[in-house]
Amino acid sequence: MITLDVFSLLQAPFIQRAFLISIIIAVLSSILSIFIVLKKISLIGDGLSHTAFGGLALGYYLSIFPLWIAAITVVLGSIGINKALRSTKISGDAAVAVFLQLGLAGGITLLSLARGFGVNLESLLFGSILIVDYTQIVTAAVVATITLTIIFLFFKEMVYITFDETQARAAGIKTWIFDYLLSILSGVVVIIAIPIIGVLLISALLVLPALISTQITKSFKQTIILSPLIGLITVIFGILASVIIDAAPGGTIVLVGLAILALVFLGKRIQGSIVNSKRK
Amino acid sequence: MEDRPIVELHDVGVKYPNGVTALEGITIDINSKDLIALIGPNGAGKSTLLKIILGLIKPTSGSVKLFGCSDLSKNLKYVGYVPQSALVRDPNLPFNVYETVMIGRTPVVGLFHGTKAEDKQKVEETLKLFGIYELKDRKIGQLSGGQSQRVFLAKAMVSEPKLLLLDEPTSGVDAASKKEFYNILERLNKERGITVILSSHDISVITKIANRVLCVNKSQFFCGENEDFSADAELHKVYGHPVEIVDHHDHP
Repeated sequence: MITLDVFSLLQAPFIQRAFLISIIIAVLSSILSIFIVLKKISLIGDGLSHTAFGGLALGYYLSIFPLWIAAITVVLGSIGINKALRSTKISGDAAVAVFLQLGLAGGITLLSLARGFGVNLESLLFGSILIVDYTQIVTAAVVATITLTIIFLFFKEMVYITFDETQARAAGIKTWIFDYLLSILSGVVVIIAIPIIGVLLISALLVLPALISTQITKSFKQTIILSPLIGLITVIFGILASVIIDAAPGGTIVLVGLAILALVFLGKRIQGSIVNSKRK
Repeated sequence: MEDRPIVELHDVGVKYPNGVTALEGITIDINSKDLIALIGPNGAGKSTLLKIILGLIKPTSGSVKLFGCSDLSKNLKYVGYVPQSALVRDPNLPFNVYETVMIGRTPVVGLFHGTKAEDKQKVEETLKLFGIYELKDRKIGQLSGGQSQRVFLAKAMVSEPKLLLLDEPTSGVDAASKKEFYNILERLNKERGITVILSSHDISVITKIANRVLCVNKSQFFCGENEDFSADAELHKVYGHPVEIVDHHDHP
């Protein structure tokens, strides 16, 4: 009976819209996650998503295009975070924490002042499969096309910087431009992912796919292929779980991702034990 | 470009904002086909000097020219660099040997261009030249110190540079790999005419293969031809105490 219910739910247009936007977000965030994880700036997603929360709160408080205000805030935040990350006066994680706290504190204050925004705050924080419309899907598709084109155009340079920033600078690459570019692109992904994943858990999609794939792959080429596949599996099964147990998709998507990571670690451990026992 | 010095350093110095002097009064012209042994104790400013030549650190005094040009960034594509930290790699870094060496082609390939068949051919040739072709599918984090060192030298050489800067490339590497490394380096210098600046603590070996020696410890203690270098006296001055050179017979 439950199977039948789930099957009929999957045919519902709102679920299909949720799957469509999730697939776009999964591919995009998974590709970006490779550069983010390998550059060891995994906390950037948290900083950006909380900045987005502050921006959304400001937009709702002022009643002017909340997503656009959030987008502007995130782009400014990504520039600020990157500037702070490059600064020698403050450590990278502290720099991200400052922006995270600023966004969250600003958002909570505005929320208290407005006594709620007249929107479902829970869906903003944890995501919802109910609030995705076709305009958001088209926006996500356009953003994904532009972002992937930019990555394709500067792929060599971004790979070099990811490999070793000092060596890239020594080779004449203006690394600061690409650092800002990566931050801004990550910020844009955060904005388009808010409806489905929610503000609080977006950063996981900018970390888990690469974190999982780099445990398995033996080359960068394999990582570029495997990371989006893992991202896709994570969001598809995450949304399915969300539908089946009627929970917020943000939580189920991240839990699926973490389950895959745990399985990979377990698999590697077993493989290591087998290799060791064969040596003995 | 070949007629004038490859690197011109004139009274170069670096002072940090807190007033600490990292380097001062470094003056040297490095000519084509020179192999310079850069010697000095830890913290002497050897890495800083190499980074100044690469434009990674801006000197607070003096002038630097690379291939006759003050705008260092214009000629960086003619420079190969192996940094001190090159051997310290994350085992999970998902780059294999082939990809690592291919990354070295980036300055030559240029912006908005993809790698072509000639780039792939060049990478394969370089892998064979450095004896690492069989390792091409191995992750770089899983290589031994000696193998990793050859990969990073190959990465620096794959763009066919005229100048090679090496910052303590043999630290943490076994004696046999060091010997092999210095042999390759000498061949690159003598047979291919590559200008080399080599910072190292392997004083006995590098003073044998170098034609010139530069001793620094915050300032310049010695700069001259190898035959004029009196190891005991100059090393005593630069290290501040007598230095015993132990010849490990690493080099033929």
